[in-house]
Amino acid sequence: MSRPGFVLEVDDRTPPMIVHEGLGFRLESFPLGTRVVYPPESIPAVPDVDEAIQHALLNPLDSEPLPALLRPGMRLTIAFDDLSIPLPTMKAPDIRGRIIEAVLTMAAEAGVDDVKLIAANALHRRMTAAELKHIVGERVFRSFYPQGDLYNFDAEDRDELTHLGTTEKGEDIEISKRAAESDLLVYVNVNLVAMDGGHKSVGIGLASYKSLRHHHNAKTMVHSRSFMDHKHSEMHHSAWRMGRIIKDTVKVFQIETTLNNDVFPSSFSFLQKREWEWSVKDQASMLGVRRGLSVAPPKLKHKMFHDMRSVYGLTGVNAGEVEAVHEKTLEKVHAQHSVEVNGQSDVLVMGVPYLGPYNVNSSMNPILAACMGLGYYFNSYRGQPVVRKGGAVILYHPLDEGFNQLHHPSYVDFYEEVLAESTDPAVVGEKYEQQFAQDPWYIHLYRTSHAYHGVHPFYMWYWIAHALDHVDEVIWVGGNRKAAARMGFRAATTLQDALEMASGTVGTSPSITYLHNPPHLLADVR
Amino acid sequence: MILALEMFRSLPRTAVGKAIGTRMPGILSGYAAPLRLVTIDPPKVDRPGWARLRTRLSGICGSDLGALSGQTSLYFSAVVSLPMVLGHEVVAELLEDCEDLPAGTRVVLDPVLTCAARGVEPCENCAVGQTNRCSRITVGHLAPGLQTGFCKDTGGGWGQQLVAHRSQMHAVPEGWSDEQALLMEPLSCAVHTALRAGVKHNDRVLVSGAGAVGLFATLALRQLTPAGEIIVVAKHKHQRELAAEFGATEVVQPDEVLRRVRRSTGAFQLKPEYSPAYLLGGVDVAVDAVGSKQSLETALNATRAGGRVVLSGMPAAADLSAAWFRELEVVGTYASSQHEPGGRGAFELAAELAELDAVVRLSKSVASYPLHRWREALDHAHAAGRLGTVKVAFDPRSSQ
Amino acid sequence: MSSFISGGVSDLKRTARGWRWGRRSLVPRSAEPYLLPAQQTVFPSDWSRKRPAMAVREVVQKAGLEPLFRSQVRTKVEGLDVLDRIEGPVIFAANHASHLDTPLILLSLPDEWRRKTGVAAAADYFFDTWWRAVGSSLFFNTFPIDRRGGSMATTPGEVLADGWSLVIFPEGTRSKDGWMGNFRMGAAFLAHEHGVPVVPVAHRGTFAAMPRGQGWPSPGRRQLTIRFGEPLRPREGESVREFAPRIKHAVATLLDEDRSTWWEARRRAATGATPDPGGPDVAQWRRVWEQSQSPAAEGPARRLRAWGRR
Repeated sequence: MSRPGFVLEVDDRTPPMIVHEGLGFRLESFPLGTRVVYPPESIPAVPDVDEAIQHALLNPLDSEPLPALLRPGMRLTIAFDDLSIPLPTMKAPDIRGRIIEAVLTMAAEAGVDDVKLIAANALHRRMTAAELKHIVGERVFRSFYPQGDLYNFDAEDRDELTHLGTTEKGEDIEISKRAAESDLLVYVNVNLVAMDGGHKSVGIGLASYKSLRHHHNAKTMVHSRSFMDHKHSEMHHSAWRMGRIIKDTVKVFQIETTLNNDVFPSSFSFLQKREWEWSVKDQASMLGVRRGLSVAPPKLKHKMFHDMRSVYGLTGVNAGEVEAVHEKTLEKVHAQHSVEVNGQSDVLVMGVPYLGPYNVNSSMNPILAACMGLGYYFNSYRGQPVVRKGGAVILYHPLDEGFNQLHHPSYVDFYEEVLAESTDPAVVGEKYEQQFAQDPWYIHLYRTSHAYHGVHPFYMWYWIAHALDHVDEVIWVGGNRKAAARMGFRAATTLQDALEMASGTVGTSPSITYLHNPPHLLADVR
Repeated sequence: MILALEMFRSLPRTAVGKAIGTRMPGILSGYAAPLRLVTIDPPKVDRPGWARLRTRLSGICGSDLGALSGQTSLYFSAVVSLPMVLGHEVVAELLEDCEDLPAGTRVVLDPVLTCAARGVEPCENCAVGQTNRCSRITVGHLAPGLQTGFCKDTGGGWGQQLVAHRSQMHAVPEGWSDEQALLMEPLSCAVHTALRAGVKHNDRVLVSGAGAVGLFATLALRQLTPAGEIIVVAKHKHQRELAAEFGATEVVQPDEVLRRVRRSTGAFQLKPEYSPAYLLGGVDVAVDAVGSKQSLETALNATRAGGRVVLSGMPAAADLSAAWFRELEVVGTYASSQHEPGGRGAFELAAELAELDAVVRLSKSVASYPLHRWREALDHAHAAGRLGTVKVAFDPRSSQ
Repeated sequence: MSSFISGGVSDLKRTARGWRWGRRSLVPRSAEPYLLPAQQTVFPSDWSRKRPAMAVREVVQKAGLEPLFRSQVRTKVEGLDVLDRIEGPVIFAANHASHLDTPLILLSLPDEWRRKTGVAAAADYFFDTWWRAVGSSLFFNTFPIDRRGGSMATTPGEVLADGWSLVIFPEGTRSKDGWMGNFRMGAAFLAHEHGVPVVPVAHRGTFAAMPRGQGWPSPGRRQLTIRFGEPLRPREGESVREFAPRIKHAVATLLDEDRSTWWEARRRAATGATPDPGGPDVAQWRRVWEQSQSPAAEGPARRLRAWGRR
């Protein structure tokens, strides 16, 4: 019996609540009357995953069954979401691997020889062999990787890109050449949140900088309200325009999957449950973990958290024509994540966890923390933001993990040089984006090492553009003062101090909403 | 056969409750509670004017909690008959016709078992309508018992069925929720308190305690008497808000009372050795709505010479020096009367108070429990102030 | 190190306060509509059927309960040969007149049966605190059953699945005057559902020794008798409604047999003349009068001593 999400009102009987902060969490007692938004419990998973996959491939939406699309001598390309999804990384076997195996089984039966597998990582970093293996599974990896037929998309390899023209708004469409020239492009996606999937998969996942700059910019993001709601997101409108033109050139067979809300494994099950329903065991676990975290050296803490594997169950898999499939997908995503919230509040409180899409197997630097909190979590709404215009946002994160030189080299320069001069997304974009995007050293690291593209930190900053435009005050509880200041924010030690600091903007008894996130939620704000 | 919560005689439990109840409050709803869930025959009284009722809602009062934790004075052991089903704040519906009330009528009970209920000639108090002072509460058709809920023959509200006499029943107006009706009995006690307090025009009144008793007393004082300033002593935030809504002029914490009263009355404050401070001067009327030693002494110490101290909650032993030295009038108020000053009955006046918006809002926060979760209910009631609840009640019809 | 400890202490304090250790747990008001429907307010009982609990129970019953029981009453047990001929688990359906019934039944069973027999006890009375749950389970093999047939109605099935027999009192509560009341369908339902036989059990004398309202057996080592009958199984295609009265009739016949002789009881059963176990339709005092007489004792109250007192 999966219970819906709901909004709790803190009263005298409410126990303290978990608030995530980076590599750890704290127990916070919120002021009486605070609204706390709880996500729905997991909806039932499909009884038999393989059967569901077969059913989807043989009964697609608005398309012939997959076997009918496969014939000997054809060029088949299979693209898939990279490891920025799902979060945390799924326990093996990854659902994408199972689907790709099913597709390849049908392809083998149909006698298809020319098959390439491309990780649709756009300007994200290249994945390592181990990471690729985790996603596609051992069988597929062994059959394709050594031969060079399983690889990361390289958005800077000019010879491997095709320009498909422009949309009616003059947006360039430039995607992987192999994908564009295939007879069939199968895309395997994991639609973790409402932002993913649809025309975003091919149109953005396999696109180059030339395409991406048209919608990954400050202006588009400010007008994406929110980017979790593709009907009201400028970014998605752009991706959809591109997608419709791609459709005319490339035959795309989209396979989208949806997951339930079982984020944490059993050893951390107390993070999954509602606090007043904790058993004695859960309370003891929580106390034990907190003591462990308080004495663990940073490396151990990092390992403890990043080794966590999620236990997501599959709630649905659909295949066929992109838009038809995505409609069905969104139905399930909304059923799993949607919570009704009545009205906005003056203050929004969010705990930023240790993991975002861009620091899997890496560390969360301050820019990524800001992107996670003010980007992803702030935008987890439909209708209107949870906090009113001109309100305050309070986030929890220590902001002290430093920068990973291997994965985020351009971030360091962005932090030291660009942010020191201005924190306005439009201004920094105008002045510096081009430089970083075309810097040959960054391009070199992106193509040969495991670094995010030079322009990527800018995208992080555009992701928070809507939040920066909407609220007047951003305060980090427990955050490193210098890091917060560099980003143009303030830091406080406790929630009470943060509320005190915000009282200039929102008064001394503001209405407060806390998003009890993760597990994932999408606030339907009336 | 009905389900009921019966209080029984148990020396070990009572001893444990008295000894460690304050330090380990959890035990007062655990081992130390001399209460058990039993299946018994429904009570029956085959006398004219009596009828059987099915309980809809029955509240837990401070006096019930006191009885269960061994804090009540042995004085009362002569006017109760164990084993008894507790519960004297009762909203019930008639299972059979009772004189002019048809079966199915929802009623709220005046729990006092008067001469009329006991089938004896009215004593000197019942004759003039002061039924709460009845002297015949141990004789007549029934076993000794000052109220329904303390008598082994009548049953009580904490059981699925009970019996009551027509003289105890007050029909509940249409459209009232059960919770609103439940508050009628405590409200009528508050009305009686307010009218016993003898408040003169613009008198300064202190109400010590902001549980159900104190809050309702504040309301009654504001609505029915010409009181001027009403200062209420409250520990918890929600109590402060409610007291203000009910008409308190100011709400203070327990440790600030003397200071605040001293400042507004210009009295002198004295500090004796090893004892709490007191005023020479103070409020005109003080109402003690807690019954603890501390609260009673605060009330006595903050009242001006010749003033009146009203004991609204069952009192514990306290130092009465101030009562003698400052020539105070110490007045007790118990239950409610059918003939208050002014001629109307307390329940009638309470019915008017129960229709006020503030009370209707309060009735929505009544926490109700089924009988088999009585330990949780008791635990909740013991800590009600800190948990933001004013009234905890039993709903014997529910099994959730 | 000191911050580790002080941090731990402050966490502990906040958790103890927030989750009301030592008190009963509470749910925030606005979360009440979203509670899981089957809120367990009684303690789970699976631990009581595991080896450690069984070992403790053996000691508690053999060294504690049994000597105490036998010092207060005398028992006469008949019909145990029935148990030699069948394999567990079974459901024992017995009449219920006193709190003595449970120890009587348990201590009359052979040891192997007693060790693996559970007694259904009202959840809201025997299992609402941990010490009642543990105590009643160790002394009397109890497991919780919801009197009103709610969410704990599945537990008897789990007990049977564990290979344990059940003792059920189909009357649901102790008789007021010692005579048998109406039988509910619980035992028949469980037997039907899980395919286990029902062994009828009839006993006399417990009401006389310790009726409702009395906390200790009356002095004088009153006589109790208990008789086990042939197992009943639902016939092919028989519904629960049809099976239930057969159980009541079997217990009634056993009572008759206990009071008179087997032959007479069989003859009366064949002609449908078994005396009504609900008792004669006379005034209450006469009903109670009859039942408050203990069955005829066999042998003297105390064992004869080889030497007399001087």
